[in-house]
Amino acid sequence: MLSSVGKSIAALILACAIIAAVVLALGASPGGVFAALYEGAFGSWYAAADTLVKATPLVFTGLAVSIAFSGALWNIGADGQLIAGAIAAGAIGPYLGGWPRPVALGLMLAAGAAGGAMWGGICGWLRARRDTNEVISTIMMNFVAAQVLSWVVHGPLIEASGAYPQSMPIAPSARMYMPIEPTRLNPAIVLAIVLAIGCYLLLFHTSYGFELRAMGRNRRAAAFFGIPIARLTIGILALSGALAGIGGAVQVCAITHRLYEKFSPGWGFEAIAVALVARLNPLGIIASAIFFGALDNGSQAMQRAQGVSPVLVQVIQGLVIMILLAFDTSAWTRIRAELFARGADSAARGDTGARAGA
Amino acid sequence: MLRARDISKRFGRTLALDRVDFDAAPGEIHALVGENGAGKTTLMNIIAGRLRPDSGEVSLDGAALRSGSAAGALGAGIAAVNQSPMLFERFTWEENLALGGFGTAAFDLPAVAVQSRALADKLGFTLPPAGSTIERRSVAERVRLEVLRALSFNPRVLILDEPTGVLAPAELAPFLGLLSGLRAEGRIIVLITHKLGEALAVADRITVLRQGRVVARTTPAQTSEAALARLMIGEIAPEPTAPAPPMGIGETALSIENLSLDRDGHRALDGVSLVLRHGEIAGVAGVDGNGQTELVELLAGARSAQSGRVIVADASAASPLGAIAVIPENRDLDGLVLDMTIWENLLLAGAIRDRLAPRGWLRRGGAIEYCRVLLERFHIRAPGPDALASALSGGNRQRLEVARAVASAPRVIVAHNICRGLDLAGTADVHRVLAEFAAAGGAVLLVSSDLDELLELSARLFVMSRGRMRETGQGDRDPSRLGMLMAGNWE
Repeated sequence: MLSSVGKSIAALILACAIIAAVVLALGASPGGVFAALYEGAFGSWYAAADTLVKATPLVFTGLAVSIAFSGALWNIGADGQLIAGAIAAGAIGPYLGGWPRPVALGLMLAAGAAGGAMWGGICGWLRARRDTNEVISTIMMNFVAAQVLSWVVHGPLIEASGAYPQSMPIAPSARMYMPIEPTRLNPAIVLAIVLAIGCYLLLFHTSYGFELRAMGRNRRAAAFFGIPIARLTIGILALSGALAGIGGAVQVCAITHRLYEKFSPGWGFEAIAVALVARLNPLGIIASAIFFGALDNGSQAMQRAQGVSPVLVQVIQGLVIMILLAFDTSAWTRIRAELFARGADSAARGDTGARAGA
Repeated sequence: MLRARDISKRFGRTLALDRVDFDAAPGEIHALVGENGAGKTTLMNIIAGRLRPDSGEVSLDGAALRSGSAAGALGAGIAAVNQSPMLFERFTWEENLALGGFGTAAFDLPAVAVQSRALADKLGFTLPPAGSTIERRSVAERVRLEVLRALSFNPRVLILDEPTGVLAPAELAPFLGLLSGLRAEGRIIVLITHKLGEALAVADRITVLRQGRVVARTTPAQTSEAALARLMIGEIAPEPTAPAPPMGIGETALSIENLSLDRDGHRALDGVSLVLRHGEIAGVAGVDGNGQTELVELLAGARSAQSGRVIVADASAASPLGAIAVIPENRDLDGLVLDMTIWENLLLAGAIRDRLAPRGWLRRGGAIEYCRVLLERFHIRAPGPDALASALSGGNRQRLEVARAVASAPRVIVAHNICRGLDLAGTADVHRVLAEFAAAGGAVLLVSSDLDELLELSARLFVMSRGRMRETGQGDRDPSRLGMLMAGNWE
C-alpha cells in the first residue's frame, strides 16, 4: 500500500512539473499559479471548508467506482446513479416537514441510496442475466437519468409557481445540519469518511469483499470455485449505485435543497479519475477526492490572480491520471519484478526463467 | 544449420541460461530435455526472437538473427509451439489460424478452414466445431490449434515446447510420424519435452539442460531413460510413488448417478454414473474433450446437469459439493488468481474461506499464518504467504493447488490432468500427496489423459468417450487396450 501511495504522489509531482513547463510557455509564473491554486483551495478556513464541500460528492461517487472496479465491473454510470439518488431524495424532501430532523435526513439518505441502487442494480441485472456489457448499459443509464431529471423538473415535480424548471424546495427538517456557518461545511463529509472506512473493511476484511476481488482478478477461477458471480454482480452494482445515490441525496440535503437540470457537473465521471488516482483503495479515495476538490476550488482563485484559464486544472487532472497509468504498466512492474527476484533469492532459482519464458 | 552460441540470460538474480551452446541440423530432430526451470523455454523464446539474450547470438545457416525480434525469427522460418497456448480467447479458431501462415490479405476464413482441415486430417487431429471461439476449448484442443498454426507457416525450423503432454494416445503416433515426415523434408525440429521415452524414440540427438547449463549432449543410442533422468536432476531421482492402495477398502464416498448435460448443442455428458469409495484412487481415462471438463466443472459446482445427481456420503444434503475439492486442469485460468497473494488463493476454496472467515469476517493474520504452515508442510517454494501467486513456478503452483485441496478437508478430491507440464520431482510430490490423502481414508477421482499416470496410481479405471463412461476390467489395464476403449470401441 505504501508503494501505491508513493506512486500516486510521484505521478502528482511529475504532473506538476509538466504543468509548470506549460505555464511558463504561456508566459505566466508557475510559482504564482501554484500559490494561487493553493490559496484558493486552502488559503483560509472558508476556502478549506469549501474544498471539503466540493470533495464530498467525489468521495461518494469515487467509492461507487472503486467498489465496482474492484470486481472488474466497469461502472461508468456513477453520474446517473447520483442523479437517480438525488431525484428520489428531491421528490420526498418537500413532504418531510412534520418529521424530526434526524428521521427526515435518514429518509432522504435512504431514498437516495434506493434510487442509486435501483439505477445500478438494473445494469447489474442486465449483466448477470442477459450478459449485457455494463460499460454500455451504465453509460446509457446516465443519459436516461439526465432526461428523467429534466422531465421531473419541468413536469411532475416543478415548483408551485412554475416560474423556473426546478423542484419545490425540500422541507427545512430535511436539510443538513450546518454547524459552522457561514461556511457550508457539514456532517456529510463525516458520513463520506465513515462509508469509505466501511468500504475498506468490506473489501479487505470480509469474505464478501474477497469474493468480489477474486471475481475482479479472475472471473473464471471465481466461478470455478463456486463464487456466485451473478448474485455478486447484481449486488455490487446495486451497492455501487447506492453509494453514488447517497452522494446525490446529500447534495440535495446540504447544498441545493432542490432539483434542477444539470444538477451534476459530472461528479460521476470525475469519480473515475478520483478512484484511479486512489488505486481503487477506499481510504485513498478520501485524499484523492480532497485533492480533486481542491483543484476545482482553487482554479477560480487561480484565474482571478494569474489570468490563467481554469481549464488548466482539467489539464492537471488528465496528466495525473495518464502519468499514473504509465507508471503502473511499465516502470513499476519491472522494478517490482527486479525487487522480487532479489527477495526470493535462490528459492526461486530457475522458476523465474520458466515464468518469464511462459 | 540452426546455431545458438554462448547464450546467457538473467532474470533478476536468477541466471536462467549460462553460456549455452545449442545447434540443430536440417533433417534432424533434436530433443531438449530438463526439469522445470532448467531454462528450456527461455532458450526457445530466445531462438524464436521473443526474448533478447544478455549475451550470445542465434544464427540460421550462418546468417545471424536480430536478437529479440519475433518477426525476424518468423521471417527466417522459425516457428514455435508454446507450452501454454497463446491464442486469442475471444476469436474463433479459424480467425486464430488466419493470423498464422494460412492468412491471406483478404482474410478469407473459409479458405483458412479448408487448409486447416486438410492439415488436421494429415495429422489425425480433430478440429473444434466450425466457428467456435477459443475460450471454451480444452487445453488439448488449444495445443492442437497451436501446432496447426505453427505448421501453417511452413517453417524451416519448428520448435515444440511440450507438445505431446496433452495429445491422446491415438493422436500421438501420427504426431510423432509427422515429426519424422518433417525431418525427412530436411527441416529442423527442436522438441522440448519431459517425456524421456519420447525423446529416446524420435530424437536424433538429445541435449540435457540443468539449471541453465548444458550438462550433456548425447544420442538415444548412447543413453537410457534412467541415465537421462539422473542427468536432469543431478542427484538421485525421487523415490517412486507409493503403490496404489488396495481397491475399495471403504464405504461409498461419492456416487454419481446418471448425469447428463447438453452444451453448445451437443451431449457433453450422457448418463454418466460411477461410485467412488473411501481410501481409493480411481482413474478416469479419456481423450480430452470427451466430457471430462464438463464432469469436473459439474463436480466443482460451476455448472449444473440437466439430469442425474451427485451424492457425497456424510455431506449435508443442501450442499453436497462442499465436500468435494476440485483441482482444475487449467491451473492458471481456473485454479488460481495469479495477481492475488498466495494466502488469498487459499481462500478460493469455500471450506477454507468458511474456516478463516467465520461469520464473513476475514481473519487476515490467521489466514497468513495458516498459509505459512501449508507452504512448509507441502514443501512449496515461495517467497512467503504475501507474495503473488504469479511469482510461483508451475510446479509450485500445482503443489499449492493440491495443498489447498487437501487442506479444505474434503471427502473427495477430484483432480484433472494435474501433472501436465510438471517435472519428475513435481509429479512425484503431487502423486505422493494424493496417495497419502487416499491412504488416510479420502477418495480421489483422478481424471487424466496420461495413461502411465493412471495405471501407476489408480486401482480402478474408468474410460470416457463422447460423454459416456464405463468401468474397465483388470484385463483392460494395458495402454493399447485402453487406447481402443478411449477411442470409443466398447464392444
